[in-house]
Amino acid sequence: MATVNTLIYLIIYPGLLFIFLYSTFVEWYDRKLYARLQNRMGPTHTGPSGLLQPIADFFKLMAKEDITPERADKTMFAALPPFGLAIVSTAMLLLPVWNYSLEQSSLTSFNGDIIVLLYLLSLPTFIFFLAGWSSTNLFSTIGGARVLTMLFGYEVPLFLAVLSPAVLADSWRLAEIAAFYRQQPALALVNLLGFIIALICVQAKLERTPFDIPHAETEIVGGTFTEYSGKKLAVFRLMLDVEMVVAAGLIATVFLGGFPGGPILGLINFIIKTLLVVFFLSLIRATTSRIRVDQVVSFAWKYLAPLAVLQLLIVIIVKGLIS
Amino acid sequence: MNDQFLIDKARENLKEKIVEITNPARRRIFLEVGIDDLLASVSWLKNDLGFTHLSTISGVDLGETFEVIYHFANNYCCLNIRVKIPRDNPLLPSICELIPGAILYEREIKEMFGLTVQNIPDGRPLLLPDDWPAGNYPLRKDWKYERPPEVIPGGEK
Amino acid sequence: MNFQIPIGPQHPALKEPIGLRITVEGEIIRDADIRLGYNHRGIEKLAEQKTWIQNVYLTERICGICSHSHTTCYVQGVEKLMELETPKRGLYIRMLISELERIHSHLLWLGVAGHEAGFDSFFMYVWRDREIVMDILETISGNRVHYAINTIGGVRRDLDELQVKRILDSLEVLRRRSQYYLNLGTTEPSFVARLARVGYLSREDALSLCAVGPTLRASGVPMDVRKDDPYAAYDEVPFEVCTAGTCDVLGRTVVRIKELFQSYNIIEYLMKNLPTGPIAVRAPRRAKPNEVVSRYEAPRGENLHYIKSNGSDKPERLKVRAPTLGNYAATIKMLKNGFIADVPLIFAAIDPCICCAERAVALIDARTGQEKIMSLKSLKELSLKVSPTTTRKREIEWPL
Repeated sequence: MATVNTLIYLIIYPGLLFIFLYSTFVEWYDRKLYARLQNRMGPTHTGPSGLLQPIADFFKLMAKEDITPERADKTMFAALPPFGLAIVSTAMLLLPVWNYSLEQSSLTSFNGDIIVLLYLLSLPTFIFFLAGWSSTNLFSTIGGARVLTMLFGYEVPLFLAVLSPAVLADSWRLAEIAAFYRQQPALALVNLLGFIIALICVQAKLERTPFDIPHAETEIVGGTFTEYSGKKLAVFRLMLDVEMVVAAGLIATVFLGGFPGGPILGLINFIIKTLLVVFFLSLIRATTSRIRVDQVVSFAWKYLAPLAVLQLLIVIIVKGLIS
Repeated sequence: MNDQFLIDKARENLKEKIVEITNPARRRIFLEVGIDDLLASVSWLKNDLGFTHLSTISGVDLGETFEVIYHFANNYCCLNIRVKIPRDNPLLPSICELIPGAILYEREIKEMFGLTVQNIPDGRPLLLPDDWPAGNYPLRKDWKYERPPEVIPGGEK
Repeated sequence: MNFQIPIGPQHPALKEPIGLRITVEGEIIRDADIRLGYNHRGIEKLAEQKTWIQNVYLTERICGICSHSHTTCYVQGVEKLMELETPKRGLYIRMLISELERIHSHLLWLGVAGHEAGFDSFFMYVWRDREIVMDILETISGNRVHYAINTIGGVRRDLDELQVKRILDSLEVLRRRSQYYLNLGTTEPSFVARLARVGYLSREDALSLCAVGPTLRASGVPMDVRKDDPYAAYDEVPFEVCTAGTCDVLGRTVVRIKELFQSYNIIEYLMKNLPTGPIAVRAPRRAKPNEVVSRYEAPRGENLHYIKSNGSDKPERLKVRAPTLGNYAATIKMLKNGFIADVPLIFAAIDPCICCAERAVALIDARTGQEKIMSLKSLKELSLKVSPTTTRKREIEWPL
């Protein structure tokens, strides 16, 4: 019975099937919102209001011809997409939606899981870099270099911004941090600055406008993904969607009080809160233009990092006042 | 600055270098000079009269000779310098030192008429493909285009 | 480490095929080269074999966006050769179309600039409003792009009261929207950060490299053929030449948006003072031996046609200098020492209208940096050689 439960856990809910369905839904939501903000219709054709469009896109891409460049490192080239998808899917299991129990720690909810989650969110960036580098295409190589350059910009502010709520809650466990802010909602306001910084950094991590520099198609064609096609590209795109859900879930957990209410209500909470975060992300995407890679780094270190340090200071002061 | 003023200036400065100067319409002056006096005329035009804008260089195949026209313009007038060069010895001095923007037009005229532009800073092909057969100059009047027979890869032999 | 990046002939940043080869060091461009000819159609040669009236339709096809510019430039020249006096009403309608074309071209450019800068919302908004102009053009001429309104001696279609009213009404909407874009384009922080100080071209360089149009005017040189060498009836219409002193892409954007307002004013003047009378005169079939230089201010800059007649019903020589060619030398100058990220913006900022680009393919080895140029023919042979030996999976049939 335990084996069956584990299998259901891994494959159906909250495993791969749920992750796939929910992340494609989030992609639809993002696309539709982005389109409406631009006076367009967005997907309309497949399913009600085009709801099934991302799934159709995924399967269509799966069926397309899969080309590996002759000069590419073939093993690496083929291994990266499933590896990346596995990483973000694992990260998703760490979100305290399915492990709402506070008392006992489990394999996916333990003291320090916030660090693990942040670490798992850093890995996709390296996957993108390696994908660009191993394609040996000029455009991909430049894209890969840009991925890393950007990483140096946003990673530190992101860590500072996400960890300062944890400092205030005095826990390194996602479920406990969320529970802490549920008990004292007023304290969540302390982290407002961190919330904004985290939103911007997540936008950069997901490589969406204004930070879609590594795959700016007007400059370097497809960037890191130039040589990817067919199944591999489909998996990469799914990976980006899942990454968006995980990042939105992380922000919702840390800043918006998590997902209380057991399996059913918790899930509804999860959906509402992640969609709220994705709404902000889409808004940023629709209202800005792409900036240059040097501007990202200088923006991150001139404004985001000092502000994140300020946030940490505020948290420390507030913590002193409370105790 | 009007047309008559420019014509007077040209007569005064270029004197016997002028082969012909006409003013067929308002704001249009055609000035013909010898090929050896081209650089001196362009330099005078640029430095004394401030004609820095070269609109383009046109070539015309007149049979025995090629006619090359440099269309200059400023805020008042469009002044065209015309030179004639013989077909059997088509040498043209480059004016890129005076007008750097002339480079693309010189490269174009070089390819299209088969003129030899002396001292051109960058003589690489510009318009025609790299496997273009030598000695074919499309805008010469005696050049006729023959459509190559169409070969469909894998089709009937 | 130096890389050479081929931009084009096929590249997402380019609307039409052209070959740019860019040598970069990291993200900085060290050298740039341009190759034309990919799409060369030999129009100048073809024009020598067609009659005067056939050439009107040939010149219309030189460019898709500024199709009216080339015909007007050509027709003006031929009218001078044939010594025709075009009726006033014909000239006014011709000017109306040319200003509408300028508006639609500038709006198109604004959208493209937004897209090249990664600001897709701006692109979508601008192109939605461009439809208003396209609709007007369609009601006047029946076509959205190739208006075919010019003929030797005048224009082919007349305006009626209803059309005049409709044009004046839609000007109000366009003015309001353009004001919004002017505010947005010059205040949105990420957009301005992307455009300001990009593609610097000093006044001296702009003059010496013979730049034309908004590129030249954004470097502070007030040169506009409509003012300097008034054709049609531009000497009767009040308008200003718009310039900017910033010498960068932001300046070129501002110049273009300001020109939109000038065009609205010109159209309003034209519609309120539209003379009555015939729209065209009959043209002879032959022209006396003569030559003429016709200049025209296209949306992208000075357009020049040199026409020589030999007494027959065909031109002896038709030389076309499209404005984009005049800006290439300046573009190469602007690209040097910029960022790769600025290539599409700088290149788009001259509003390239490419009739001609490269025929060779640059193959570059990423590991050694060696480059070899292969002609189309040898590339084709190579592809034929490779394909039989490697087995390719057939595309799976999929119901979606």
